[in-house]
Amino acid sequence: MEDVITLNEDVTIVAYYFKDKDQPKCFPKRMEYNGKQVIFTETGLRHPTRKGQRMVHVFDMTDGNADYRLEFDAMSLAWKLVYIADASYAPTF
Amino acid sequence: MHLPFNRAQPEIMHIDLNSCFATVEQQARPMLRNRPVGVTNRKSAFSCIIAASYEAKALGVRVGMRADEALKLAPGIVIVETDPPKYHYVYQKLVAIMRSYSPEVTMKSIDEGIIDFNGTRQYLNARPLRDIGMEIKQRLKDEVGCWMKCNIGIGPNRFLAKQAASLHKPDGLDIIDYSNLRSTLATLSLTDLTGIAERNQARLNAVGIYTPLQFLDASSETLHRLVFHSICGDDWYQKLRGWEVDKHESQTRSVGRQYVLEDSHLSLEAVNSRLAYLCETTGVKLRYKNLCARGIMVYARYDSGDYWYNRKMFKTTFYSNAEIYRRAILVFNRRPGGNDVREIGVTCYGLEPSKENQVSLLDEVNKERWLSDAIDSINQQYGEFTLTFASSFTSRSIVKQKIPFGGTQYFDLLCSS
Repeated sequence: MEDVITLNEDVTIVAYYFKDKDQPKCFPKRMEYNGKQVIFTETGLRHPTRKGQRMVHVFDMTDGNADYRLEFDAMSLAWKLVYIADASYAPTF
Repeated sequence: MHLPFNRAQPEIMHIDLNSCFATVEQQARPMLRNRPVGVTNRKSAFSCIIAASYEAKALGVRVGMRADEALKLAPGIVIVETDPPKYHYVYQKLVAIMRSYSPEVTMKSIDEGIIDFNGTRQYLNARPLRDIGMEIKQRLKDEVGCWMKCNIGIGPNRFLAKQAASLHKPDGLDIIDYSNLRSTLATLSLTDLTGIAERNQARLNAVGIYTPLQFLDASSETLHRLVFHSICGDDWYQKLRGWEVDKHESQTRSVGRQYVLEDSHLSLEAVNSRLAYLCETTGVKLRYKNLCARGIMVYARYDSGDYWYNRKMFKTTFYSNAEIYRRAILVFNRRPGGNDVREIGVTCYGLEPSKENQVSLLDEVNKERWLSDAIDSINQQYGEFTLTFASSFTSRSIVKQKIPFGGTQYFDLLCSS
C-alpha cells in the first residue's frame, strides 16, 4: 500500500497564470506550508469539480519526489493542500 | 439469408481508452507512472480491482481480482481508490474531441465511444480516417496529458471497429474492412471476438465451428437454427460481414441502487438506514431522468449465500425520496428473519414520464411535489445530501457514490456535487 498523508490544510501558493493557445492556464509553482517550500515541476492533471455551487479546481502536482493534490476554491481564492502521496519522499513538514 | 461482405468504405471509428482509470491515475500522479497500479472502489483487501495499469497486467493482475490477491501477485502494486470527478473530466474531454469530428457520437461506456462518419465525412472531414485517428491520439495527449493513450479501431460496422480497436493494445490503430477481414480473423481465436465467451464458444464448438474463419463461413441458417436458436444467429452472420446491426437506442426500464453492507452483523436500524440512503439516490436518479415509477423491487443477499427478493406494483406513480422509502420498507419488511444481510438493493420499475407539469387537483399531491422540488434545489445549491432523511444521515459518510460501469447516463449527475 502507498504512503498517503491526508492534510486538508490551507497553504500559500505562488502560481503562474498564462494563456496557451488562447486557453487560460494556471501552474502552481511554489508552495509554502509549515515553514517549508516545495517547487512543483509538473501538473499531472487539472480538473474542475463542484461542491454544491462552488467551483473547485483540483490540481494534481508533483515536485519529482512526491505527488501533491491541491484544491483552489474559485469563490474564496484559497488554496488547500489535500494530500501528499509517496509522502516518504516528500520534505518533512 | 445470403449476404456478401460489406465493401463500403469503413466509416465507423471506435475509440477505447487503455486501462482507463489506471491510466488517468498515472496521468494525474506522475510518481505512479511505470509502476503497477490497481484501482478499486474501496480501499480494503476484499475490494475488487476494477482497472489495472499495463505494468500490473504484465505481473498477472487482472480486472475482477481482489486487492489482496493482486498484492500477492505484485507486492509493489499501488492500490488507489476511484476518483469519479477525475474520470468525468477525462470523459468530457474525450467526448469534446470526438464531437469535433462528427455530430454522430455514441458513448458506449465511460472509456469507449463510437464516431459514425457515415454521411458527414465528405462535408466535414474528407481526410482518411487513419489520419483523423492519429490526430485524435495526439489531441488526447495535448488536451488531457502526455500519459494518455487510446486504442482506435476503424471498420464498416461497430462490431468490426471494436474488434479492430482490440488488435494492438496499448495505443494501437487498426482498420478492418473487406480486404483484410479474412486475414485478420485468421489470427484470432473465437473468444477474442467481442461477444463470444466460453458459453457461446461451446455452442459454436457443438456444431463444428472452432475458428473465427469457420464462424464467418457458416450460413445464417446454421447460426440461427443450430447455434444461437434465435435472431442472434442472423445478427452474427451480418456483423461478421461488416453490416450494421448494433445501432439501436436503449430505453431506461428500471432505476435502482445496490450496496454491499460493510458488516453482515449490522443492527436492523443500520440496515434500514442504508436502505433509506439507497432510496434517496434512486429518487435523485429517477427525477434526473424526469421519470416516475409504479413498481418497486427490493432484494437482500445473506451471508449464507441465500438470495431473497420481493416486488410490488402500485396503482399510483411515485418519484419522491419519501415515497420510494415508504414503499421499499413495506416490501423489505416481508423478508425472512435473520440479521446476517450482506447486500441490499432497491429498484424502481414500471417507469413512466414524469407528470410534474400537470398540477394536481389534490393539494397533498402538490405539496409533496413542491417539497421534493425544494429539497432538490437546496441539494443542488449546497451539494448532494445537504438535506436528507435523519435515518440515512449516518449512511451518508459510509455509502459512497461509485463509478457506474456500462452506461454513462448518470455520469453527469454523479459527478455534479
